[in-house]
Amino acid sequence: MNASLMSLELWVIVLGVVLMLADFLVAPERRRFLAYLAIATLGALLITNLGDATTGTAFHGAFVEDTLAIFFKRFFLIAAMLVLFMSLEFSDRIAGGISEYYSLIAFALSGMLFAASANDFAMLFVSVELITITFYVLTSFQRSRLVSLEAGVKYLILGALSSAFLVFGIALVWGTTGQLNFTELARVAAQFETNKIFLIGVLFVLVGLGFKIAAFPFQIWVPDVYQGAPTPSTAFLAVGSKAAGFVLLLRVLFTALPDVAKHWADLLIVISGITILYGNLCALPQRNLRRLLGYSSISHAGYLLLGVAALSITGQAALLYYLAGYLFTVVAAFLVICVMMRHLDSEDISGLAGLNQRSPLLATTLTLAMVSLAGIPPMAGFFGKFLLLKAVIQQGAINHNHGYYCLAFTALAGVVISLYYYFGVIRAIYWSKNVPDLSPIPLSGSVKFAACVCIAGMFWIGLFPSVVLNLATEAAKALAL
Amino acid sequence: MKYELLPWLILFLPLVAAGGITLFTLRYRTVSALLSIGAIVTGFVLSLIFINANGWQPAVGEISKNWLSIGTLHIDFGLKLDALSMMMLLVVTGVGGAIHIYSFGYMHEDSGFSRFFAFMSLFTFSMLGIVLANNFIEMFIFWELVGVSSYLLIGFWFEKPSAGDAAKKAFIVNRLGDFGFLLGILMIWGILGSLNFSVLQGQLSQNSLALGAMSTIAGLLVFCGAVGKSAQFPLHVWLPDAMEGPTPVSALIHAATMVAAGVYMLCRIFFVLNPEALHVIAYIGGFTALLAALIAVQQDDIKRIIAYSTLSQLGYMVMAVGLSGQTAAMFHLTTHAFFKALLFLSAGSVIIALHHEQNIWKMGSLKQKMPVTFWTFLVGALALSGMWPFSGFFSKDSILAQALEQGHQLPWLGYPLFITGVLVAGLTTFYIFRLFFVVFFGKEKSEIASHAHESPAVMTLPLVVLAIFSFIGGYLGIAGVYHGLFAGETEKSAGLAAALFEPFINSPLAAALGLCVVAIGFFAAFSLYAKADKDPLPVILGPLATAMKNKFYFDELYEATVIRLHDFIAAVMDWIDRWLVEGLCIGLVRGGTDLTGRALRLVQTGNLQTYAFLFVLGVAVVMYFVLGK
Repeated sequence: MNASLMSLELWVIVLGVVLMLADFLVAPERRRFLAYLAIATLGALLITNLGDATTGTAFHGAFVEDTLAIFFKRFFLIAAMLVLFMSLEFSDRIAGGISEYYSLIAFALSGMLFAASANDFAMLFVSVELITITFYVLTSFQRSRLVSLEAGVKYLILGALSSAFLVFGIALVWGTTGQLNFTELARVAAQFETNKIFLIGVLFVLVGLGFKIAAFPFQIWVPDVYQGAPTPSTAFLAVGSKAAGFVLLLRVLFTALPDVAKHWADLLIVISGITILYGNLCALPQRNLRRLLGYSSISHAGYLLLGVAALSITGQAALLYYLAGYLFTVVAAFLVICVMMRHLDSEDISGLAGLNQRSPLLATTLTLAMVSLAGIPPMAGFFGKFLLLKAVIQQGAINHNHGYYCLAFTALAGVVISLYYYFGVIRAIYWSKNVPDLSPIPLSGSVKFAACVCIAGMFWIGLFPSVVLNLATEAAKALAL
Repeated sequence: MKYELLPWLILFLPLVAAGGITLFTLRYRTVSALLSIGAIVTGFVLSLIFINANGWQPAVGEISKNWLSIGTLHIDFGLKLDALSMMMLLVVTGVGGAIHIYSFGYMHEDSGFSRFFAFMSLFTFSMLGIVLANNFIEMFIFWELVGVSSYLLIGFWFEKPSAGDAAKKAFIVNRLGDFGFLLGILMIWGILGSLNFSVLQGQLSQNSLALGAMSTIAGLLVFCGAVGKSAQFPLHVWLPDAMEGPTPVSALIHAATMVAAGVYMLCRIFFVLNPEALHVIAYIGGFTALLAALIAVQQDDIKRIIAYSTLSQLGYMVMAVGLSGQTAAMFHLTTHAFFKALLFLSAGSVIIALHHEQNIWKMGSLKQKMPVTFWTFLVGALALSGMWPFSGFFSKDSILAQALEQGHQLPWLGYPLFITGVLVAGLTTFYIFRLFFVVFFGKEKSEIASHAHESPAVMTLPLVVLAIFSFIGGYLGIAGVYHGLFAGETEKSAGLAAALFEPFINSPLAAALGLCVVAIGFFAAFSLYAKADKDPLPVILGPLATAMKNKFYFDELYEATVIRLHDFIAAVMDWIDRWLVEGLCIGLVRGGTDLTGRALRLVQTGNLQTYAFLFVLGVAVVMYFVLGK
């Protein structure tokens, strides 16, 4: 067993414990600055991790460190750092225990890191539960706000439901095949292709993961939770939790069950298409900004599923590339919302009126985020969508499966629909008729820094795609489809 | 090649100035002006250094960098460096520099001072780009940039509706020509597979029929671009209206440089044009020259007279290209840049002195009050008329001589155009001295004219410099430089005296006739206008004068035909767009989408039990989908 492979995860857990213990030692008014400690630690871990690319397995193959795991670990570290910047801005709105909030983020992060390396159903379940249970607390952390509590309860109950499916599914798979390890399972899965109990088990596992990534028809919780949870939690949920769901989905489908996945192309196509349409159509009449982003997040799960449905290395690489751009874009959007909420009572889009005069940086950040989400060049979102569609159409040409063409068309229709509501947000910023308040919005240094990082990230990934795309392609090769 | 960096600097300095002014110094008027003036004057000095170091024919004719490659299409961003482009560099930066300096005085009271200089620098950059381009695409891009900067500068006083209209008119009319230009470029690329001038020239010199049946059409399509930019009939209507811009703009863009771009382009791509295309070009040029000269005779606005004169002179140049006389065309282009810039700037000096009065019948007797302007204008007028030994004489004579020479081979082409040229020379003298006598002699015809006084030195100094070049431009060896490029032989440098009398030896008939009509035109103008208070010509000419005054009703004709037809098509399209596309198609899709969105929203009740039910229902549906079949 090679425990040094897990040093990153262990360090993050140590960080979480230290942050919690620091609660006793640091004066209350200074506790919020513990975020800097956390950010510095994560930054140091990220930098040391960049040079260190040892691969291997631990725990009898349950824990795997490969290019895919490394790609996602870097992703999660960057996401957690940006979310910590956001929490720093948010900290005075949390009634009790800001250091607990930080340490919960660290624990959720450790769950995501384990998820990135999970190569075993047991590891999968444990990491999923580590993430989900932490998020139950994170979503309901504003104990004095009723909506926050409501969001937490909804997430808890529906999450428990999905966990039930997940664990039941794992049990059925284990019961029929006697294997939990993905690599082992891949060897024997072919014999069980017609075994209905086995297939039901696999489906139930996918239901559990579908809940995490918010794919149709398991997306029902998203708008309410996104709207109610504290903004940094929402951002982390939208980026980290979703990405964790995707890495597990990729592993289960393409490492453990490649033969089954090949037969389920139609299922993936249908789910991807409906998810895109559902998210975009429901977002149309939305006026609440966070709810709108919740639906938008559903539609993006659909776009990401294009890469899964393509069943090819190019598709998976496109998915990873898209996620990288999505990270900066979504964090940027929630960062602006996080600052805006302080100055507004409602979360209505109309509250954005005159933002370009109140704070040009925030207006620019949100505008660029919307432009990137809508998939307009030269932002990251454009090239990501392009790669995903390209992968899908290529696969359609290889397999002569007309479903792929229909899916590409559906995705394009979804993009067109989404332009309307994304640009509705931009219009509200710049061209609102009645602007009630034009007082400037003061920005803290951490917000400015995080906004600039997000903008730079969106442009960098969009304008110089080769770096991230090469990493993504390398990572996708680890799946060995 | 020495100093390879210099041409890049010359090209990009004005762009840097334009960017710097727009981004940083809009509030600091003097800094902005100095940036802009500095950029172009430095460009002039660098051009001189470069030419001094490399001669007129550098060993390496072009430097280029690959800009983009798509499949078999390779586009370079390159600089063509030969006698043609380097002489044009000198003209653009030299004459342009004088005009920039003049503008410092002319625009001094204007609130958009910095903006003006930013536009001027943008224009200079674009014009230098046309001059230096080594391939069609690059030239086309700068061609359009010139169109844009011209639009910005004509509409500089955009608060005046007439200026806005004129800017639009200029841009749209130019676009018509550019459309043909682009088609021509695409056709040449499609057939020959290259866009680089040297490569194309090589291909066509090896096989002059390489363009096949499309040869004439391709040449004429490319010529369309020149028709627009150089304001040839039938697209000549925009240039007189463009006089709505500030006078330095008229001098720089609509006299010396931009409108000359068409002629320059024709000389640059001369190898594309086959004899049939050249004949059309020659006739269009000749016709434009005559038409514009006739209209100029009956105009009353000082700038419009000079504008029509520009049209007419451009007609000369285009005609010269059509007669295969690129040397003559470029020679006339160069001298014309001097004296026409001079005339415009002198006119500007008068206009400023009279507080923006432009009607010549409200001026008069300015000779004593504005001596420098008077003398410089006189030099310009004499050079324009083609009086020996002013520069215009030599260049115009070379065009007339070229026409005669062509006439020996193709009588039906050369002789009619020669007669037209001589006639126009007479008309030119007549209308410019009509203007001259009315403005500077006679009685003061208005109150303002009696209070006029001379312009400041920053304005008169460029006038003097331009006047000197208008005077001596004919025997500086400019023609020799062009001749060296186009004919491929270097002329021996004769002495000054030989240069002065060369035209009389080379082509005595052209020179003598040319001088005769100048004398006739001058005396006609003198006898009619030296003491006139109002124009005696309408009485003499009757309806013809009215037609001339109304520009032969071209605007009205276009209004009644082209614009009416355009409006009708636009109305039909508007109806289709509004009711069929927008109403029926988009309306249904939009309504349907919106309705679905609203309906789906109802699923989201907020009730946890419902959510859990839907979740499980979803699981059931997925299971049925996969296993139920």
